[in-house]
Amino acid sequence: MKYGDKIIYMEGIITEVHDGAVSLDLKGRLGFMKVPMRMLITDYPLKVGQEVGFNMSFLEVLGPDANEKYVSNLDKQSNKRNNKEV
Amino acid sequence: MSMSAETAAKHKNDPAVVCCRTEAGVVISADNLEDPAIFPDLVDSGLLKLDDSVLTVGQVIGAKMTKTIDSLTPITADVVDGAKAAASEAVEAPAVPAAPVAAAAPAAGVACVNGGVLKIHIGEGKDINLEIPMGGYSAAPAVAGGAVVMPVEAAPAAAQAAVAGAAKAVRTLTKKHFKITEVKRGPETKIEGTTLYIREGIEEDAVKVDHLVKKFKIDIITPDKYNTYSETIMDVQPIATKEGEGKVGAGVTRVLDGVIMMVTGTDEGGVQIGEFGSSEGILEENIMWGRPGAPDKGEIFIKTEVVIKEHTNMERPGPLAAHKATDFVTQEIREALKKLDESLVVESEEFVQYRRPGKKKVVIVKEIMGQGAMHDNLILPVEPVGVLGGKPNVDLGNVPVVFSPLEVLDGGIHALTCIGPASKECSRHYWREPLVLEALHDEEVDLAAVVFVGSPQINAEKFYVSERVGMTVEAMDADGAFVTTEGFGNNHIDFASHIEQIGMRGIPVVGMSFCAVQGALVVGNKYMTMMVDHNKSEAGIENEVLSCNTLTKEDALRALGMLKTAMGGEEIKEAERKWNPNVKETNLEMIEKTTGAKIERPLNETSIPMSEKRKEKYSTK
Repeated sequence: MKYGDKIIYMEGIITEVHDGAVSLDLKGRLGFMKVPMRMLITDYPLKVGQEVGFNMSFLEVLGPDANEKYVSNLDKQSNKRNNKEV
Repeated sequence: MSMSAETAAKHKNDPAVVCCRTEAGVVISADNLEDPAIFPDLVDSGLLKLDDSVLTVGQVIGAKMTKTIDSLTPITADVVDGAKAAASEAVEAPAVPAAPVAAAAPAAGVACVNGGVLKIHIGEGKDINLEIPMGGYSAAPAVAGGAVVMPVEAAPAAAQAAVAGAAKAVRTLTKKHFKITEVKRGPETKIEGTTLYIREGIEEDAVKVDHLVKKFKIDIITPDKYNTYSETIMDVQPIATKEGEGKVGAGVTRVLDGVIMMVTGTDEGGVQIGEFGSSEGILEENIMWGRPGAPDKGEIFIKTEVVIKEHTNMERPGPLAAHKATDFVTQEIREALKKLDESLVVESEEFVQYRRPGKKKVVIVKEIMGQGAMHDNLILPVEPVGVLGGKPNVDLGNVPVVFSPLEVLDGGIHALTCIGPASKECSRHYWREPLVLEALHDEEVDLAAVVFVGSPQINAEKFYVSERVGMTVEAMDADGAFVTTEGFGNNHIDFASHIEQIGMRGIPVVGMSFCAVQGALVVGNKYMTMMVDHNKSEAGIENEVLSCNTLTKEDALRALGMLKTAMGGEEIKEAERKWNPNVKETNLEMIEKTTGAKIERPLNETSIPMSEKRKEKYSTK
């Protein structure tokens, strides 16, 4: 990581609460994230609209090549989706 | 922050650094000095430079400043008058304890995260009042010391057992093993000799088990098919059943050897159930063979692929439906297993739960996930790792539930847990839980019970359940405790709290978790001094290989050695600040030296074919 040391305080808004995960929009239209419940620390019962804070950095692409393994997994997944729609 | 005289005495051989601006003429006392516990962070951030010219706390106390120096300036000989000679402290240098290896042993498997630095810089100002709540800061120094090193030589639990009475057998569990060498499809589910037949068309019936199940497929994976693609492995389960009216945890259990159930699945949209921590891919690249929770090499997998209703993969009924459908197949096999003739038993294993009066009483607290959806477990089903009769720990409010060790080993936990493939404990893990097995068979300790406690989502609930854990352990009059958890995330908050609740009652407690680099603890407290890290991966990360970083026999031996040492009144050495895998090796060597027994080191991901995704991970490190 070339820029890993740059830590930025970010905020987001919880947009979906599931039994196993929450989704959140990053404030300022900076993206969207979905994390498993156990990665979220809370003192309060979860509600849509609650704000969250966290530190993060920029995402860096690690190399020029696509990982064939992941590409094939993604293809399998999208095939399943397409088959279902037919 | 200045120190108290007491802290200063403890740190008399550490560097002396003034905490505030100190005027010439001041006679230095502990009040003028900064607590050395925070130095590593200051050094890391470049705020402080320490070298050999810096005097120690012991040397400068009572000396007089000859120059005015700013805060956080190290005290050297040229700014003070009357410093004590360095020689005196050399004599007092703490004698290295009897344990020879201990001195060289470096840090624990726990890295500190919370120990940040409070930086305040005010260029120019007037009447500035700063009020900073310190509640959150107190934990930091304690976390830094996730110590692991222990002088095993000093663990004579046997020595204290002078009053030991005779061991008392409480209950017995017999596991009768039946060998399976072939799994085929046939007109009915039955076992003939060593061949298991699964009924053709069982899929249609399994779909009907739950309205959320849309499709159901069974694959029989023989070793020649280990190189095929699979969806994320949700769970690995033994196929076992109770004989007669026996209840889980006692009596006779029949189990099939050479074959296991494997639950996998997606929702209709093709999204993996549990979605996160995907370990889909080529089976043999994604499984750490032989871990307690994983398949053993050579075993046949009855792999189910359950497709559940779209968008239910993250709701509680979704993952449960996949497990229920799989259990429908397992149950048919169980029925066939019940009918088998005794003559087919290839091995009979007997587990006896002993209470050993007079020995040190220990309790194992196992923290399981209880945040919801796939973070759930069915507690004490009727059949080993069954579904029927099991109560989800989420519905039980995640409060502690006391198990006998034999209930654990007899499939009393059906785990739905499904993220963090490398660190999650599959159902099979509990079936052959190494810590329970080691403690059960160790004649030097009296294993009182295994307490399961769920990890709820909200902090208030976490503290609620961990207070109950404290009370439970207190009521048992335990002399020592283990607290284990699986994976990482917010469960580390209650993990720390369980340790605190037990530790504050004066009971030595060993914590066990995957931490290393990626799972570094987020909180800590002063009782977290004895920690065992489950990491086995080279890089200290969640490497997406099933069960790689779960509790193994050698972890159990280290933890037992550590707890016995602590119960024997020995001190556990403090750890380095950053994760260092060598600590573990040193500890193991010490145990080997003491006990004279060779401990097998578990293999890690480097022993299996490397998937492209793992290659990528390591090449970019």
